[in-house]
Amino acid sequence: MRIPSEDSFTSRLRSAAVAARVGLWLGICFLVALVTGLISHYAQLDHQPVPLPASPSRLYQLTQGLHVAAGTAAIPLLLIKLWVVFPKLFQPMPRQVREALPTALERGSIAILVSTSLVQLTTGLLNVAQWYPWGFSFRSTHYALAFVAVGALLVHIAVKLPVVRDALTGDVDDTAHDRPNARRPGPVSRRGVLVLAGTSALAATFLYTAGTIPGVGRIAALSPRSRKQGIPINRTAHSAGVVAEASSSAYRLELVHGAMTRSLTRDDLVAMEQRTHTLPIACVEGWSASGEWGGVRLRDLLDLVGAPRGREVRVRSIQTFSASADTVLPPNFADDDRTLMALMLDGETLSMDHGYPVRLIAPDRPGVMQTKWVSRIEVL
Amino acid sequence: MRAIRGGLILLGAVGMAYGAWLLVSRQDLGQIVEVALWLAAAVVIHDGILAPVVLGLGWVGGRLLPRAVARGAVTVLVLLGPAALVAIPVLGRFGAKPDNPTLLDRDYTQGLLVFAILCVCAGVAVALGELRSRQPARANVEEE
Repeated sequence: MRIPSEDSFTSRLRSAAVAARVGLWLGICFLVALVTGLISHYAQLDHQPVPLPASPSRLYQLTQGLHVAAGTAAIPLLLIKLWVVFPKLFQPMPRQVREALPTALERGSIAILVSTSLVQLTTGLLNVAQWYPWGFSFRSTHYALAFVAVGALLVHIAVKLPVVRDALTGDVDDTAHDRPNARRPGPVSRRGVLVLAGTSALAATFLYTAGTIPGVGRIAALSPRSRKQGIPINRTAHSAGVVAEASSSAYRLELVHGAMTRSLTRDDLVAMEQRTHTLPIACVEGWSASGEWGGVRLRDLLDLVGAPRGREVRVRSIQTFSASADTVLPPNFADDDRTLMALMLDGETLSMDHGYPVRLIAPDRPGVMQTKWVSRIEVL
Repeated sequence: MRAIRGGLILLGAVGMAYGAWLLVSRQDLGQIVEVALWLAAAVVIHDGILAPVVLGLGWVGGRLLPRAVARGAVTVLVLLGPAALVAIPVLGRFGAKPDNPTLLDRDYTQGLLVFAILCVCAGVAVALGELRSRQPARANVEEE
Protein backbone atom coordinates (compact mmCIF):
# COMPACT_ATOMS: atom_id res chain seq x y z
CA MET A 1 0.00 0.00 0.00
CA ARG A 2 1.42 3.39 -0.93
CA ILE A 3 1.69 6.22 1.57
CA PRO A 4 -1.05 8.77 0.90
CA SER A 5 -0.22 12.38 0.09
CA GLU A 6 -2.16 15.44 1.20
CA ASP A 7 -4.01 15.36 -2.14
CA SER A 8 -5.30 11.84 -1.52
CA PHE A 9 -7.90 13.42 0.76
CA THR A 10 -10.64 14.95 -1.35
CA SER A 11 -13.59 15.49 1.02
CA ARG A 12 -14.74 19.09 1.25
CA LEU A 13 -15.52 18.49 4.93
CA ARG A 14 -11.78 18.57 5.63
CA SER A 15 -11.75 22.35 5.43
CA ALA A 16 -10.30 25.30 7.33
CA ALA A 17 -13.86 26.57 7.80
CA VAL A 18 -14.76 23.41 9.77
CA ALA A 19 -11.40 23.11 11.54
CA ALA A 20 -11.55 26.72 12.78
CA ARG A 21 -15.04 26.27 14.23
CA VAL A 22 -14.38 22.96 15.98
CA GLY A 23 -11.02 24.41 17.04
CA LEU A 24 -12.72 27.42 18.58
CA TRP A 25 -14.94 25.19 20.74
CA LEU A 26 -11.94 23.06 21.63
CA GLY A 27 -10.00 26.18 22.59
CA ILE A 28 -12.84 27.28 24.86
CA CYS A 29 -12.85 23.84 26.54
CA PHE A 30 -9.06 24.05 27.06
CA LEU A 31 -9.34 27.56 28.49
CA VAL A 32 -12.07 26.52 30.94
CA ALA A 33 -10.08 23.43 31.95
CA LEU A 34 -6.90 25.48 32.43
CA VAL A 35 -8.49 28.17 34.59
CA THR A 36 -10.52 25.74 36.73
CA GLY A 37 -7.52 23.40 36.99
CA LEU A 38 -5.30 26.22 38.26
CA ILE A 39 -8.01 27.13 40.80
CA SER A 40 -8.08 23.51 41.98
CA HIS A 41 -4.30 23.29 42.38
CA TYR A 42 -4.26 26.62 44.19
CA ALA A 43 -7.09 25.49 46.48
CA GLN A 44 -4.97 22.49 47.49
CA LEU A 45 -1.99 24.60 48.57
CA ASP A 46 -1.41 24.39 52.31
CA HIS A 47 -0.48 28.06 52.64
CA GLN A 48 -2.28 30.18 50.05
CA PRO A 49 -0.71 33.65 49.73
CA VAL A 50 -4.22 35.02 49.15
CA PRO A 51 -6.77 32.59 50.65
CA LEU A 52 -9.65 31.60 48.39
CA PRO A 53 -13.06 32.78 49.60
CA ALA A 54 -15.11 30.44 51.81
CA SER A 55 -18.28 31.74 50.11
CA PRO A 56 -20.16 30.83 48.07
CA SER A 57 -19.82 27.35 49.55
CA ARG A 58 -20.53 25.72 46.19
CA LEU A 59 -17.89 27.58 44.17
CA TYR A 60 -15.34 24.74 44.10
CA GLN A 61 -18.11 22.28 43.26
CA LEU A 62 -18.88 24.47 40.23
CA THR A 63 -15.29 25.08 39.07
CA GLN A 64 -14.19 21.47 39.41
CA GLY A 65 -17.39 20.18 37.82
CA LEU A 66 -16.66 22.51 34.89
CA HIS A 67 -13.07 21.28 34.74
CA VAL A 68 -14.06 17.66 34.27
CA ALA A 69 -16.97 18.54 31.97
CA ALA A 70 -14.76 20.70 29.72
CA GLY A 71 -12.12 17.98 29.53
CA THR A 72 -14.68 15.31 28.66
CA ALA A 73 -16.34 17.53 26.02
CA ALA A 74 -12.91 18.09 24.48
CA ILE A 75 -12.49 14.37 23.71
CA PRO A 76 -15.08 14.13 20.87
CA LEU A 77 -14.10 17.62 19.68
CA LEU A 78 -10.40 16.74 19.52
CA LEU A 79 -11.07 13.50 17.64
CA ILE A 80 -13.22 15.34 15.09
CA LYS A 81 -10.71 18.20 14.81
CA LEU A 82 -7.92 15.71 14.12
CA TRP A 83 -10.08 13.97 11.49
CA VAL A 84 -10.64 17.31 9.73
CA VAL A 85 -6.95 18.25 9.62
CA PHE A 86 -5.56 14.72 9.15
CA PRO A 87 -4.30 15.39 5.55
CA LYS A 88 -1.80 17.91 6.95
CA LEU A 89 0.10 14.96 8.41
CA PHE A 90 1.12 14.10 4.83
CA GLN A 91 2.20 17.58 3.74
CA PRO A 92 5.64 17.50 2.08
CA MET A 93 8.54 19.31 3.78
CA PRO A 94 9.92 22.32 1.88
CA ARG A 95 13.28 21.64 0.18
CA GLN A 96 15.04 24.89 1.06
CA VAL A 97 16.50 25.20 4.54
CA ARG A 98 15.19 28.73 4.99
CA GLU A 99 11.60 27.51 4.60
CA ALA A 100 12.18 24.08 6.11
CA LEU A 101 13.27 25.37 9.50
CA PRO A 102 10.11 27.33 10.41
CA THR A 103 8.00 24.52 8.96
CA ALA A 104 9.83 21.98 11.09
CA LEU A 105 9.38 24.14 14.19
CA GLU A 106 5.68 24.55 13.48
CA ARG A 107 5.22 20.82 12.86
CA GLY A 108 7.13 20.11 16.06
CA SER A 109 4.80 22.37 18.03
CA ILE A 110 1.80 20.60 16.46
CA ALA A 111 3.23 17.21 17.47
CA ILE A 112 3.64 18.47 21.04
CA LEU A 113 0.13 19.95 21.00
CA VAL A 114 -1.48 16.73 19.74
CA SER A 115 0.40 14.36 22.03
CA THR A 116 0.04 16.44 25.21
CA SER A 117 -3.65 17.08 24.45
CA LEU A 118 -4.32 13.37 23.96
CA VAL A 119 -2.45 12.47 27.16
CA GLN A 120 -4.11 15.25 29.21
CA LEU A 121 -7.59 14.20 28.15
CA THR A 122 -6.85 10.49 28.58
CA THR A 123 -5.24 10.73 32.01
CA GLY A 124 -8.01 13.06 33.20
CA LEU A 125 -10.64 10.65 31.91
CA LEU A 126 -9.00 7.70 33.65
CA ASN A 127 -8.55 9.63 36.89
CA VAL A 128 -12.32 10.22 37.04
CA ALA A 129 -12.78 6.43 37.03
CA GLN A 130 -9.82 5.97 39.45
CA TRP A 131 -7.87 3.87 36.93
CA TYR A 132 -4.13 4.49 37.16
CA PRO A 133 -2.25 2.23 34.74
CA TRP A 134 0.99 4.25 35.12
CA GLY A 135 3.81 4.80 37.56
CA PHE A 136 4.05 8.59 37.35
CA SER A 137 2.22 11.02 39.60
CA PHE A 138 -1.10 11.95 38.01
CA ARG A 139 -1.26 15.25 39.81
CA SER A 140 2.25 16.50 38.95
CA THR A 141 2.06 15.23 35.37
CA HIS A 142 -1.42 16.62 34.64
CA TYR A 143 -0.30 19.98 36.05
CA ALA A 144 2.97 20.13 34.10
CA LEU A 145 1.52 18.94 30.78
CA ALA A 146 -1.26 21.54 31.05
CA PHE A 147 1.32 24.29 30.58
CA VAL A 148 2.97 22.45 27.71
CA ALA A 149 -0.36 21.80 25.96
CA VAL A 150 -1.69 25.34 26.38
CA GLY A 151 1.70 26.80 25.38
CA ALA A 152 1.70 24.72 22.21
CA LEU A 153 -1.91 25.76 21.62
CA LEU A 154 -0.97 29.47 21.82
CA VAL A 155 1.80 28.90 19.24
CA HIS A 156 -0.69 27.04 17.02
CA ILE A 157 -3.23 29.89 17.31
CA ALA A 158 -0.51 32.45 16.50
CA VAL A 159 0.56 30.56 13.37
CA LYS A 160 -3.02 30.05 12.15
CA LEU A 161 -4.46 33.41 13.25
CA PRO A 162 -5.01 34.94 9.75
CA VAL A 163 -6.68 31.74 8.45
CA VAL A 164 -8.74 31.36 11.64
CA ARG A 165 -9.93 34.96 11.41
CA ASP A 166 -10.92 34.56 7.76
CA ALA A 167 -12.62 31.24 8.39
CA LEU A 168 -14.60 32.40 11.42
CA THR A 169 -15.78 35.63 9.81
CA GLY A 170 -16.66 33.88 6.54
CA ASP A 171 -19.38 31.35 5.79
CA VAL A 172 -18.93 27.73 6.85
CA ASP A 173 -19.26 26.68 3.19
CA ASP A 174 -16.57 29.14 2.08
CA THR A 175 -13.75 27.39 0.18
CA ALA A 176 -11.15 30.19 0.18
CA HIS A 177 -8.65 28.29 2.33
CA ASP A 178 -9.36 24.81 1.00
CA ARG A 179 -7.00 22.66 -1.02
CA PRO A 180 -8.03 22.85 -4.72
CA ASN A 181 -8.95 19.18 -4.94
CA ALA A 182 -10.91 19.02 -1.66
CA ARG A 183 -14.22 19.29 -3.53
CA ARG A 184 -15.93 15.93 -3.08
CA PRO A 185 -19.19 16.38 -1.14
CA GLY A 186 -19.30 14.32 2.04
CA PRO A 187 -22.23 12.25 3.26
CA VAL A 188 -23.23 15.17 5.49
CA SER A 189 -22.88 18.93 5.03
CA ARG A 190 -20.28 21.02 6.88
CA ARG A 191 -23.07 22.33 9.10
CA GLY A 192 -24.00 18.70 9.68
CA VAL A 193 -20.47 17.94 10.89
CA LEU A 194 -20.64 20.85 13.34
CA VAL A 195 -24.06 19.80 14.65
CA LEU A 196 -22.85 16.22 15.10
CA ALA A 197 -19.61 17.35 16.78
CA GLY A 198 -21.48 19.54 19.26
CA THR A 199 -24.08 16.88 19.98
CA SER A 200 -21.42 14.22 20.46
CA ALA A 201 -19.46 16.42 22.87
CA LEU A 202 -22.57 17.25 24.92
CA ALA A 203 -23.71 13.62 24.99
CA ALA A 204 -20.32 12.23 26.10
CA THR A 205 -20.02 14.94 28.76
CA PHE A 206 -23.48 14.32 30.15
CA LEU A 207 -23.12 10.54 30.16
CA TYR A 208 -19.70 10.53 31.84
CA THR A 209 -19.86 13.45 34.28
CA ALA A 210 -23.47 14.11 35.31
CA GLY A 211 -23.83 11.07 37.60
CA THR A 212 -24.24 12.98 40.86
CA ILE A 213 -26.45 15.82 39.56
CA PRO A 214 -29.85 15.55 41.31
CA GLY A 215 -32.65 14.46 39.00
CA VAL A 216 -30.67 13.62 35.88
CA GLY A 217 -27.80 11.68 37.46
CA ARG A 218 -29.73 8.42 37.15
CA ILE A 219 -29.60 8.48 33.34
CA ALA A 220 -25.96 9.58 33.09
CA ALA A 221 -25.21 6.00 32.12
CA LEU A 222 -21.40 6.13 31.98
CA SER A 223 -20.70 8.07 35.19
CA PRO A 224 -18.39 6.34 37.68
CA ARG A 225 -20.37 7.86 40.59
CA SER A 226 -24.01 8.19 41.60
CA ARG A 227 -26.13 9.25 44.57
CA LYS A 228 -27.64 5.81 44.97
CA GLN A 229 -25.83 5.23 48.25
CA GLY A 230 -25.80 8.81 49.49
CA ILE A 231 -22.58 10.79 49.30
CA PRO A 232 -19.96 8.75 47.40
CA ILE A 233 -16.77 7.70 49.16
CA ASN A 234 -13.27 7.99 47.76
CA ARG A 235 -11.12 6.29 50.36
CA THR A 236 -12.69 3.74 52.67
CA ALA A 237 -11.66 3.36 56.31
CA HIS A 238 -10.38 -0.09 55.44
CA SER A 239 -8.09 1.10 52.63
CA ALA A 240 -6.86 3.99 54.78
CA GLY A 241 -5.99 1.46 57.49
CA VAL A 242 -7.78 3.37 60.24
CA VAL A 243 -10.56 0.97 61.30
CA ALA A 244 -8.95 -0.20 64.56
CA GLU A 245 -7.90 3.23 65.79
CA ALA A 246 -11.09 5.00 64.69
CA SER A 247 -13.33 2.55 66.50
CA SER A 248 -11.13 2.27 69.61
CA SER A 249 -12.43 3.53 72.98
CA ALA A 250 -8.98 5.10 73.44
CA TYR A 251 -9.78 7.60 70.65
CA ARG A 252 -9.20 11.23 71.62
CA LEU A 253 -9.36 14.46 69.63
CA GLU A 254 -6.32 16.57 70.54
CA LEU A 255 -6.62 20.35 70.47
CA VAL A 256 -3.31 22.23 70.50
CA HIS A 257 -2.64 25.95 70.75
CA GLY A 258 0.94 26.56 71.81
CA ALA A 259 1.22 25.22 75.37
CA MET A 260 -2.57 24.97 75.73
CA THR A 261 -3.89 21.51 74.93
CA ARG A 262 -7.19 19.70 75.39
CA SER A 263 -8.06 16.09 74.78
CA LEU A 264 -11.70 15.26 73.98
CA THR A 265 -13.60 12.00 73.58
CA ARG A 266 -16.34 11.69 71.02
CA ASP A 267 -18.87 11.94 73.86
CA ASP A 268 -17.31 15.25 74.91
CA LEU A 269 -17.91 16.50 71.37
CA VAL A 270 -21.51 15.24 71.38
CA ALA A 271 -22.11 17.12 74.65
CA MET A 272 -21.09 20.45 73.06
CA GLU A 273 -23.47 22.75 71.16
CA GLN A 274 -24.44 21.00 67.90
CA ARG A 275 -24.93 22.84 64.62
CA THR A 276 -26.21 21.70 61.24
CA HIS A 277 -25.20 22.92 57.79
CA THR A 278 -25.87 21.69 54.27
CA LEU A 279 -22.53 21.58 52.50
CA PRO A 280 -21.21 19.74 49.44
CA ILE A 281 -18.39 17.26 49.19
CA ALA A 282 -16.84 18.28 45.87
CA CYS A 283 -14.16 15.90 44.64
CA VAL A 284 -11.24 16.75 42.34
CA GLU A 285 -12.67 13.98 40.13
CA GLY A 286 -15.58 16.29 39.33
CA TRP A 287 -18.43 14.62 41.19
CA SER A 288 -20.12 16.39 44.07
CA ALA A 289 -22.97 15.73 46.47
CA SER A 290 -24.47 17.75 49.27
CA GLY A 291 -25.21 16.41 52.71
CA GLU A 292 -26.71 17.74 55.91
CA TRP A 293 -23.79 17.73 58.32
CA GLY A 294 -24.23 17.97 62.09
CA GLY A 295 -21.48 18.57 64.62
CA VAL A 296 -19.43 21.06 66.57
CA ARG A 297 -18.38 24.36 65.07
CA LEU A 298 -14.58 24.38 64.66
CA ARG A 299 -14.47 27.90 66.12
CA ASP A 300 -16.04 26.60 69.35
CA LEU A 301 -13.21 24.06 69.66
CA LEU A 302 -10.59 26.72 68.97
CA ASP A 303 -12.14 28.82 71.77
CA LEU A 304 -11.59 25.90 74.17
CA VAL A 305 -7.82 26.35 73.80
CA GLY A 306 -8.02 30.16 73.69
CA ALA A 307 -7.03 30.52 70.03
CA PRO A 308 -7.51 34.05 68.70
CA ARG A 309 -9.34 34.58 65.41
CA GLY A 310 -7.35 34.98 62.21
CA ARG A 311 -5.01 31.99 62.63
CA GLU A 312 -4.27 29.10 60.31
CA VAL A 313 -5.31 25.71 61.68
CA ARG A 314 -3.79 22.34 60.85
CA VAL A 315 -6.19 19.39 60.87
CA ARG A 316 -4.58 15.96 61.09
CA SER A 317 -6.06 12.53 60.48
CA ILE A 318 -5.47 9.15 62.11
CA GLN A 319 -4.53 8.14 58.59
CA THR A 320 -0.86 8.92 58.05
CA PHE A 321 0.35 7.89 54.62
CA SER A 322 -1.70 9.84 52.06
CA ALA A 323 -1.96 13.40 50.80
CA SER A 324 -5.23 13.79 52.68
CA ALA A 325 -3.61 12.87 56.04
CA ASP A 326 -3.44 16.51 57.05
CA THR A 327 -4.50 19.89 55.71
CA VAL A 328 -4.21 23.50 56.73
CA LEU A 329 -7.33 25.67 56.97
CA PRO A 330 -6.70 29.33 56.10
CA PRO A 331 -8.00 31.76 58.79
CA ASN A 332 -11.16 32.65 56.86
CA PHE A 333 -12.10 28.95 56.71
CA ALA A 334 -11.11 28.16 60.32
CA ASP A 335 -13.26 31.02 61.64
CA ASP A 336 -16.23 30.44 59.30
CA ASP A 337 -19.47 29.60 61.13
CA ARG A 338 -20.17 26.74 58.72
CA THR A 339 -16.86 24.94 59.27
CA LEU A 340 -17.75 21.93 61.39
CA MET A 341 -16.10 18.97 63.02
CA ALA A 342 -18.90 16.72 61.86
CA LEU A 343 -20.34 13.86 63.91
CA MET A 344 -23.51 13.27 61.89
CA LEU A 345 -24.42 13.04 58.21
CA ASP A 346 -28.01 13.27 56.98
CA GLY A 347 -29.41 12.65 60.47
CA GLU A 348 -27.33 9.54 61.16
CA THR A 349 -24.09 8.96 63.02
CA LEU A 350 -21.19 9.48 60.64
CA SER A 351 -20.25 6.14 59.10
CA MET A 352 -16.72 4.78 59.37
CA ASP A 353 -16.13 5.38 55.65
CA HIS A 354 -17.30 8.99 55.94
CA GLY A 355 -14.79 9.69 58.73
CA TYR A 356 -16.12 8.40 62.10
CA PRO A 357 -15.54 9.40 64.87
CA VAL A 358 -15.26 12.97 63.56
CA ARG A 359 -14.38 14.67 60.28
CA LEU A 360 -13.80 18.14 58.94
CA ILE A 361 -16.43 19.70 56.68
CA ALA A 362 -15.87 23.27 55.49
CA PRO A 363 -17.53 25.31 52.74
CA ASP A 364 -15.95 25.66 49.28
CA ARG A 365 -13.04 23.21 49.66
CA PRO A 366 -11.80 20.29 47.54
CA GLY A 367 -13.08 17.01 48.97
CA VAL A 368 -9.56 15.67 49.43
CA MET A 369 -9.03 18.43 52.03
CA GLN A 370 -12.16 17.64 54.05
CA THR A 371 -10.07 15.54 56.42
CA LYS A 372 -11.67 12.33 57.72
CA TRP A 373 -10.92 10.48 60.99
CA VAL A 374 -9.56 13.66 62.59
CA SER A 375 -7.16 13.08 65.50
CA ARG A 376 -5.55 16.47 66.06
CA ILE A 377 -6.38 20.15 65.52
CA GLU A 378 -3.42 22.49 65.87
CA VAL A 379 -3.48 26.29 65.81
CA LEU A 380 -0.50 27.55 63.79
CA MET B 1 -1.73 41.48 14.02
CA ARG B 2 2.02 40.94 13.77
CA ALA B 3 2.49 42.01 17.39
CA ILE B 4 -0.35 39.78 18.60
CA ARG B 5 1.10 36.76 16.79
CA GLY B 6 4.59 37.46 18.10
CA GLY B 7 3.26 37.85 21.63
CA LEU B 8 1.29 34.60 21.42
CA ILE B 9 4.32 32.66 20.17
CA LEU B 10 6.49 34.08 22.94
CA LEU B 11 3.87 33.35 25.62
CA GLY B 12 3.36 29.86 24.21
CA ALA B 13 7.09 29.13 24.20
CA VAL B 14 7.37 30.30 27.82
CA GLY B 15 4.39 28.09 28.77
CA MET B 16 5.91 25.04 27.09
CA ALA B 17 9.29 25.64 28.71
CA TYR B 18 7.73 26.09 32.16
CA GLY B 19 5.63 22.94 31.78
CA ALA B 20 8.65 20.94 30.60
CA TRP B 21 10.65 22.18 33.57
CA LEU B 22 7.82 21.23 35.96
CA LEU B 23 7.68 17.81 34.33
CA VAL B 24 11.37 16.99 34.70
CA SER B 25 11.97 18.64 38.07
CA ARG B 26 9.26 17.05 40.23
CA GLN B 27 9.51 13.34 39.48
CA ASP B 28 12.24 10.72 39.22
CA LEU B 29 13.78 9.62 35.94
CA GLY B 30 11.71 6.43 35.63
CA GLN B 31 8.48 8.44 35.95
CA ILE B 32 9.63 11.05 33.42
CA VAL B 33 10.52 8.32 30.92
CA GLU B 34 7.07 6.80 31.41
CA VAL B 35 5.39 10.17 30.70
CA ALA B 36 7.48 10.41 27.50
CA LEU B 37 6.34 6.90 26.54
CA TRP B 38 2.70 7.89 27.08
CA LEU B 39 3.17 11.02 24.96
CA ALA B 40 4.63 8.96 22.12
CA ALA B 41 2.10 6.14 22.49
CA ALA B 42 -0.82 8.62 22.34
CA VAL B 43 0.28 9.83 18.89
CA VAL B 44 1.06 6.32 17.64
CA ILE B 45 -2.32 4.98 18.80
CA HIS B 46 -4.25 7.92 17.32
CA ASP B 47 -2.38 8.42 14.05
CA GLY B 48 -1.45 4.79 13.54
CA ILE B 49 -4.56 2.90 14.65
CA LEU B 50 -7.63 5.03 15.38
CA ALA B 51 -7.35 7.46 12.45
CA PRO B 52 -6.62 4.73 9.83
CA VAL B 53 -9.56 2.66 11.12
CA VAL B 54 -11.90 5.65 10.76
CA LEU B 55 -10.41 6.45 7.34
CA GLY B 56 -10.98 2.85 6.30
CA LEU B 57 -14.60 2.97 7.49
CA GLY B 58 -15.10 6.22 5.56
CA TRP B 59 -13.51 4.76 2.40
CA VAL B 60 -15.57 1.57 2.49
CA GLY B 61 -18.77 3.35 3.54
CA GLY B 62 -18.37 5.99 0.83
CA ARG B 63 -18.16 3.30 -1.86
CA LEU B 64 -20.66 0.72 -0.62
CA LEU B 65 -23.43 2.71 1.01
CA PRO B 66 -26.07 4.81 -0.76
CA ARG B 67 -25.92 8.44 0.29
CA ALA B 68 -28.88 8.30 2.68
CA VAL B 69 -27.50 5.27 4.51
CA ALA B 70 -24.03 6.86 4.61
CA ARG B 71 -25.53 9.92 6.30
CA GLY B 72 -27.12 7.72 8.92
CA ALA B 73 -23.90 5.76 9.40
CA VAL B 74 -21.85 8.94 9.90
CA THR B 75 -24.38 10.12 12.47
CA VAL B 76 -24.05 6.87 14.43
CA LEU B 77 -20.24 6.88 14.17
CA VAL B 78 -19.77 10.48 15.37
CA LEU B 79 -22.25 10.16 18.26
CA LEU B 80 -21.37 6.66 19.42
CA GLY B 81 -17.64 6.40 18.61
CA PRO B 82 -16.32 9.00 21.07
CA ALA B 83 -18.80 7.90 23.78
CA ALA B 84 -17.59 4.30 23.40
CA LEU B 85 -13.97 5.42 23.82
CA VAL B 86 -14.92 7.52 26.85
CA ALA B 87 -16.68 4.45 28.30
CA ILE B 88 -13.57 2.21 28.23
CA PRO B 89 -12.49 2.94 31.84
CA VAL B 90 -15.93 2.19 33.27
CA LEU B 91 -16.77 -0.73 30.96
CA GLY B 92 -13.58 -2.48 32.03
CA ARG B 93 -14.12 -1.50 35.70
CA PHE B 94 -10.34 -1.17 35.92
CA GLY B 95 -10.46 1.15 38.94
CA ALA B 96 -12.97 -0.92 40.92
CA LYS B 97 -12.16 -1.52 44.59
CA PRO B 98 -13.77 -4.43 46.42
CA ASP B 99 -14.31 -2.39 49.62
CA ASN B 100 -15.91 0.63 47.91
CA PRO B 101 -19.39 -0.01 46.48
CA THR B 102 -19.88 3.74 45.75
CA LEU B 103 -17.33 3.60 42.92
CA LEU B 104 -18.43 2.28 39.49
CA ASP B 105 -21.92 1.52 40.79
CA ARG B 106 -23.86 1.07 37.55
CA ASP B 107 -24.28 -1.51 34.79
CA TYR B 108 -22.18 0.29 32.17
CA THR B 109 -22.58 -2.33 29.44
CA GLN B 110 -26.34 -1.90 29.59
CA GLY B 111 -25.98 1.90 29.69
CA LEU B 112 -23.78 2.01 26.61
CA LEU B 113 -26.09 -0.42 24.83
CA VAL B 114 -29.10 1.85 25.46
CA PHE B 115 -27.11 4.85 24.22
CA ALA B 116 -26.06 2.86 21.13
CA ILE B 117 -29.72 2.09 20.37
CA LEU B 118 -30.54 5.81 20.69
CA CYS B 119 -27.68 6.63 18.29
CA VAL B 120 -28.94 4.06 15.76
CA CYS B 121 -32.43 5.56 16.03
CA ALA B 122 -30.93 9.00 15.36
CA GLY B 123 -29.03 7.55 12.39
CA VAL B 124 -32.18 5.97 10.95
CA ALA B 125 -34.07 9.25 11.40
CA VAL B 126 -31.32 11.14 9.57
CA ALA B 127 -31.30 8.58 6.73
CA LEU B 128 -35.11 8.70 6.39
CA GLY B 129 -35.02 12.50 6.46
CA GLU B 130 -32.52 12.44 3.58
CA LEU B 131 -34.69 10.05 1.55
CA ARG B 132 -37.80 12.13 2.09
CA SER B 133 -36.11 15.44 1.24
CA ARG B 134 -34.76 13.94 -1.98
CA GLN B 135 -38.11 12.70 -3.35
CA PRO B 136 -39.71 16.12 -3.99
CA ALA B 137 -36.43 17.28 -5.53
CA ARG B 138 -36.53 14.38 -7.97
CA ALA B 139 -40.18 15.13 -8.79
CA ASN B 140 -39.16 18.69 -9.67
CA VAL B 141 -36.49 17.43 -12.01
CA GLU B 142 -39.00 15.23 -13.80
CA GLU B 143 -41.37 18.14 -14.28
CA GLU B 144 -38.71 20.16 -16.03
